[in-house]
Amino acid sequence: MGELGPDEGAENTYSLRPGLQHRFKSSTVKECIRAILKEKLANVQYIPEEMPELTKSLSETIKDRLKEEGFDRYKMVVQVVIGEQRGEGVNMAARCFWDADTDSCAHHVFMNDSLFCVVAAFGCFYY
Amino acid sequence: MEEFHPHNDEMIFNADEAHNIVKECIESVLGKADYNQNKVNQWTAAIVEQSLTHLVKLGKTYKYIVTCAVMQRSGAGLHTASSCFWDTTTDGTCTVRWENRTMNCIVNVFAVAILL
Repeated sequence: MGELGPDEGAENTYSLRPGLQHRFKSSTVKECIRAILKEKLANVQYIPEEMPELTKSLSETIKDRLKEEGFDRYKMVVQVVIGEQRGEGVNMAARCFWDADTDSCAHHVFMNDSLFCVVAAFGCFYY
Repeated sequence: MEEFHPHNDEMIFNADEAHNIVKECIESVLGKADYNQNKVNQWTAAIVEQSLTHLVKLGKTYKYIVTCAVMQRSGAGLHTASSCFWDTTTDGTCTVRWENRTMNCIVNVFAVAILL
């Protein structure tokens, strides 16, 4: 029989809940999003031909940045909406069916003279 | 308690089913209405809540995220993109676009699987 280490028997190491440090914190994520939008959209004008590429690349960038933040065992969804500023009314809502203890979301709205951009990031813990 | 389907090996997100559910919810809330700034808040909330309730009634072991954007039709452009970091075999998304004379509505459903 193999030798057991100093502790008798194995300890449970599979955690069913994220630790406090590893939670998908709204404030941290919102800050990330705000910084990226400020950097990428500062002087951008709304040009219809370029917008599809920009929205896609922005969502990829934000997703990669969140991966680097180190939210282990979290599945993430990032949604980016960019629209032209013409004074029209827009309303957005979201509802989620999840475990409120472990899962969370963050959103940020960026506006300049020619466009507005809404980013919503959701994180779901993978048990 | 509604039916509960335990995890089986072939769990895939059924996008068509979700599409139909969401479409019905939008029709029932917005139907023939015109864009009304006072009511649009209630509409978006109603759409997401009803869609979520119906999706949950399917009884599958999924976490759902439903987002809805309602816009006035004034000729302005709108672009949406989303990027997801998940298990592509079990998780999925579905987008429903709907419009009438005075407004556009876009609903996104993201479904993240729970493995038991």
